[in-house]
Amino acid sequence: MISYNVIGQPIVRSDGFEKVTGRAQYTGDLKLPGMLWGKVLRSPFAHARIIRVDTSRAVGLPGVHAVLTGDDTRGVRYGRRLFDVPPLAEERVLFAGERVAAVAAESMEIAQNAIDLIEVEYDPLPAIADPLESMKGDAFLLHPDVNDYVGLPKKLEKVSNVFVTNTWGKGELDTGFAQADHILERTYTTPLVHQAYLEPHSCVVFIDEDQRIQIWAANKAPFALRQQLAAAIGVDEDRIRLNPTYIGGDFGGKGSPMDVPLVYFLALHSKRPVRMVMDYVEEFTAANPRHPSVTTVRSGVLNDGTLTAWEARIIFNSGAYGGFKPGVNLGGARDVAGPYKIPHTFVEAIQVYTNSVPGGHMRGPGEPQGIFAGESHLDEIARILGIDPLEFRLKNLVGEGDVTATGSLYRDVKAKETLEAASMAARYGSPLAMNVGRGMAMGARAPGGGETHVGVIFQKDGTVVARTPILDQGTGTYTTVNQVVAEELGLSSDKVQIIPWNTDAVSFDTGIGGSRGTRVASQAAYAAAQNAKQELLRAASEIRGWDPSNLVLKDNKVYKGNTEDYIDFDFVVQNCGFDIQGTSGIEDREQLTVTAFCAQIAEVAVDVETGQIKLLRFTSAHDVGQVLNPIGHQGQINGGVVQGIGYALMEELEVEDGRVSNVTFGDYKIPTMADIPELRTVLVQSKNGVGPYNIKGIGENTNTAVAAAIANAVEDAIGVRVYSLPITAEKVLAALRESNV
Amino acid sequence: MHDFTVHHPQSLQETLILLDRFGDAAQLIAGGTALMNFMKQSLLLPEHIINLQRVQGLQHIQSTKDEVRIGAMVKHREIEKSNLIQNEVPILASTYRRVATIRIRNMATIGGGLAHADPAQDPPSTLVALNARIRIASISGERTISIMDLFQNYYENSLMPGEMITEVIIPSMHSDTKSTYLKFLPRTADDYATVSVSLIATLNENIVRDVRIGLGAVAPTPIRATIAEETLKGHAISDELIQQASNSVAQQVDPLDDFRGSADYKRDMAIVFTKRALQQVLQGPS
Repeated sequence: MISYNVIGQPIVRSDGFEKVTGRAQYTGDLKLPGMLWGKVLRSPFAHARIIRVDTSRAVGLPGVHAVLTGDDTRGVRYGRRLFDVPPLAEERVLFAGERVAAVAAESMEIAQNAIDLIEVEYDPLPAIADPLESMKGDAFLLHPDVNDYVGLPKKLEKVSNVFVTNTWGKGELDTGFAQADHILERTYTTPLVHQAYLEPHSCVVFIDEDQRIQIWAANKAPFALRQQLAAAIGVDEDRIRLNPTYIGGDFGGKGSPMDVPLVYFLALHSKRPVRMVMDYVEEFTAANPRHPSVTTVRSGVLNDGTLTAWEARIIFNSGAYGGFKPGVNLGGARDVAGPYKIPHTFVEAIQVYTNSVPGGHMRGPGEPQGIFAGESHLDEIARILGIDPLEFRLKNLVGEGDVTATGSLYRDVKAKETLEAASMAARYGSPLAMNVGRGMAMGARAPGGGETHVGVIFQKDGTVVARTPILDQGTGTYTTVNQVVAEELGLSSDKVQIIPWNTDAVSFDTGIGGSRGTRVASQAAYAAAQNAKQELLRAASEIRGWDPSNLVLKDNKVYKGNTEDYIDFDFVVQNCGFDIQGTSGIEDREQLTVTAFCAQIAEVAVDVETGQIKLLRFTSAHDVGQVLNPIGHQGQINGGVVQGIGYALMEELEVEDGRVSNVTFGDYKIPTMADIPELRTVLVQSKNGVGPYNIKGIGENTNTAVAAAIANAVEDAIGVRVYSLPITAEKVLAALRESNV
Repeated sequence: MHDFTVHHPQSLQETLILLDRFGDAAQLIAGGTALMNFMKQSLLLPEHIINLQRVQGLQHIQSTKDEVRIGAMVKHREIEKSNLIQNEVPILASTYRRVATIRIRNMATIGGGLAHADPAQDPPSTLVALNARIRIASISGERTISIMDLFQNYYENSLMPGEMITEVIIPSMHSDTKSTYLKFLPRTADDYATVSVSLIATLNENIVRDVRIGLGAVAPTPIRATIAEETLKGHAISDELIQQASNSVAQQVDPLDDFRGSADYKRDMAIVFTKRALQQVLQGPS
């Protein structure tokens, strides 16, 4: 192993002090002269025709500067890829919570009063909440004009509520099923869940005296947002500037334009800066939660446990719009087939419009849904065959040179090693008490690619400023950039200050997502630091007249070769007569052959009188490259597991008559510290990784297999399986009673 | 949130005058843990908020030979931590310890919680089992009612306009009385109960001399499982007797379907947790 001074050290996060002292400024903290508050009136109906919107009383209220309806934004559609979302509804509302009118006023109270004065007459229409109903040929169309939408990946031969289909596979399914000794078909469902970030969606839009559109938004992909907004409202991207701000949590949900296009129109009409902050009722009812899914898996297997065929269909309930996902569909769905060598496969993922809140991204988009189905299914096959689930997986997992079920070929494959490490750490196979069980599940994920830039500027006081267009949404990218720059310049972490750039500063940045932050930002920071270092050495050589090719930067000094002759680097910075800096632009979009495996084992005790599941311990094994920061790395693992526990056992936005009904954290529960069992982590060291430090991603695959591991542990404990998340006590008890009939 | 005027009375008399003057346009605020949520959701829009924080004479925990008296403004956390309560009415301390989180318990008060009349909260079923009485004041005088008469329906109490709770009076427990509070939390540790059972019993050898069972979260108000109580009283403890008494609660509960379980499930769980409470208190180590 290479030894580092800052890389790999438990460095305190760069943004930690500002955040814990309350100094960090979020979008909602921003105050601009003359700034107004925006508020939205939302539909109470899941589907209705808008007969009339009367804004006259709201317009007349003192302090109100703009009142907008669908007439004011007519024809505008936006999205992350598929442009199907209107800033305000026009003829029809398609979900309960959809924006119908908006105001900008001098205070939040006036804005709310104005909203209360707007009268809307609706003609309620039948609504479809169930994607299976919506797929039927006789269902009414939510989007009759879907074929005209910008960003639809493929025109539909016949317009339907199914607006996108992706497939993966290989071999011949019929052959695979013909070979099989057993065929098993099961259906799994997952619920609508919220990312539960602390900061709700918020934005400020201001059209300045130069007609530039200045924006602050809780959005982790500012350059993408700039493109999306420019395309939606028909202006040049150059006119838009996204300004840096802190983002208070993401978990995948902070990549959508959300209210930014609407607030642009409020700013345009009121000629004032306008701030809009969703409240959490709005977040639960009308943001972009994780898609519910219905997945059917059919598999073929030989008596000896060899998988021969795997067919899966995942139906995602997209809700009323498809605009909040950058890929239009959720690619993680393919993980329903897992890192297993199955010769004959076919996986299909479809998105269906329904009259419910639009889905968006959340931590490993599509993967938790797919892996819950796939890993539950595998476990059940193993148990039917009488093969231990560990042995069954080890038999079918990919090794070096094997292609996965959906066609990926990786190098330095650590799938079996990772599962075995989890098994050791969890003492898999050791005796268990009555009604106690262990279950496992696996995930794999390569870090995503993208583009970013970094600037490194030496300061006269001996410190360094690192500039980045990335807005750290809490996962620690600022700390990553800090550590890389400090490492390469031989500085301590506290000598490097991160100052984010606005979107004018560089050409593009992909934004945070897909576990790409560490992969892309560490390469850019490395390159920028190297460039800055060369500049520093050049400046030192000019001052001293040394040969620039033979200088060494060490301990804040530039040495002449291996001699004791040196010059302090702050002296160089102060006396060279120009700014010493280095910049970099990194574009790394390669589909990687490096992946990271995760194996998780849950140990549960089930109370058979109540169905209550008690998690006794939870073990995670990850194959890793160089861990840049063990605190941040472990935090991602623990946080991902905890979020997975919520998904497995309790979280669900419940929808009644098209409306989300649990709209507070009193009713929508997420795990508390007291609900977290002992967490064990074991890391499997891998030689290969990405970039100068051989890194891998960790943000997402900590989260994706948790629910399946718990479902499998429940079956191990009491012999019954729950096919739908969350696995509530009531569902477990019902399954137990059914099995005893 | 809408505009309102806040008043800070110093005495009970001053408070009652304000309450009389503003009538329905006023809301009392104690800890604010319920009222603030209602106001944020525009479920209540009071023009006047009467803050009870500075009112003298509502902060006491006292005991006499026969009873324990708790001022309406005593916080949940104070009850939980009170040596006096822990010694004299241990089930009350253990019940308050199960409410929500420390952050909530540091704000919420006994009087405010009861006035809120939420049958899914923890204290009501225990106070019902304890036969607590509620002291109520208005500008025209005072009255004391049984806690069973306070709760009318979900979030509905029997206070008349101009009235407020000033004190909760709890009859002392006999030294040989045993008790337990069980709260079923299938989701998270800070959730409301799916069902809760408060059990207070006195045994004479193997015979149930007295038993009181309060049930929470299973009806529009906290209820007493009176059929179970009658089934048990005067009888020798046996597994069959406990099962028979527990089964009877199904006839008395009237739960709602909600995020914490279906009505059928809650009915079943009321039986299970009544049984567990009875086993713990009647059959457990003394």
